[in-house]
Amino acid sequence: MNLEYRVAHVAEHLAAGPCGELGVRAEIRGETVLLTGTVPSAGCREAVRRAVHDELAGVPVHCDIVVAETAPPDHPEVLE
Amino acid sequence: MTRVAAVGDIHMGPDSQGTLRPAFETLPACADILLLAGDLTRHGTPEEARVVAREIKDLGVPVVAVLGNHDHHDDCPDEVTAILRDAGAHVLEGEATVVSHRGLRIGVAGTKGFGGGFVGRCAGEFGEPVMKEFVRYSRRRADGLRAALEELRRRDCDARIALTHFAPVPDTLAGEPPEIYPFLGSYLLAEAIDTTGADLAVHGHAHAGTEHGMTGGGVRVRNVAQPVIGRAFHVYSLGTP
Repeated sequence: MNLEYRVAHVAEHLAAGPCGELGVRAEIRGETVLLTGTVPSAGCREAVRRAVHDELAGVPVHCDIVVAETAPPDHPEVLE
Repeated sequence: MTRVAAVGDIHMGPDSQGTLRPAFETLPACADILLLAGDLTRHGTPEEARVVAREIKDLGVPVVAVLGNHDHHDDCPDEVTAILRDAGAHVLEGEATVVSHRGLRIGVAGTKGFGGGFVGRCAGEFGEPVMKEFVRYSRRRADGLRAALEELRRRDCDARIALTHFAPVPDTLAGEPPEIYPFLGSYLLAEAIDTTGADLAVHGHAHAGTEHGMTGGGVRVRNVAQPVIGRAFHVYSLGTP
C-alpha cells in the first residue's frame, strides 16, 4: 500500500488506541516517517512509538515526540 | 490583582496519578483560582475522571473546569462531570459561577464550545442534516457562553473570564495546519465574548498552537493547552497590583 495511506491509517489507529492520541503528527520525510507532538506520559510515548513501528514495519520512523512538562511556572504573566 | 492559573489538555490516565499534584499544591501561594480548559482525560471514562479528581481535590484554591472533546469520547460526560464536582470542581457548560477567594469575586463563564471555523473560512448551516447540526451545535455552545457572560455582567465581579475548550480566535492556532482550523474553534465563541465583554478568554484544544491572541473586540485570549505552555499551568495576573 502507498505510504501516504499507511500513514493516514496510523493517525486513525493512534486516536482509537489506548492513549486516545490525537496530538501526534505523523509526516512523511522522504522515505522515512517523522513523529512529532507532546504526549502526557512516558508510557504514552512508548505506546505510540511501538504502535507506529509495528504498523509501518520496514519504514524508518523517527520519533521526536516529547512528554508534557509538569513543573509549576516561576512567574505570572501580568495583563494590565 | 486577580491571579488566574490555567491549564488544559492534561489528558490524564491511570499512569498519570500524582504527576501534576506537586505543582498544583503550589497554587495557594501563586493563584486565586485554577481553570481547567477541557480534555482532562484521554477517553472520558469514569476511571480517568477519578484520576483527575484525586489530582485536584482540596487544593486550597477554587477549581473551575469545562470538558473537552476527549472527555466526551466514552459518551458519559455527565458521569465525568459528577466525579469532578464530587472533588469540589465547578464544571460549567453554558453556565456561570462566581467564586470567592482572598476577598476577590472571580466570575467564570464556561462552555466546551465546538468547531466550525473563523470568519470567511467557516462552515455554514446549509445542506445535509449532519452539516446543519454541526453548525447548530456550535451555535448552541456559543449561545450558552453568551448567556453565562451576561449573567456575570449582572453580578458584582472583580474579574470576568470566558473559559472554553475550543478556540474563539485563530491567533492562538498558529502552528497548527491551517486546513484543520475549522475543527479547532469557532468565531461564534469570540462573538459571544465580544458582545458581552470579559477580562480574559482561556481555551485549550490546539496542542501545536500559540499561547497569545486577542479577539476582534480586544479581549486577551490565552491558549493554555499543556503542550503549548510547557508547564503544569500558567498564571495570569489581571488588574493593577
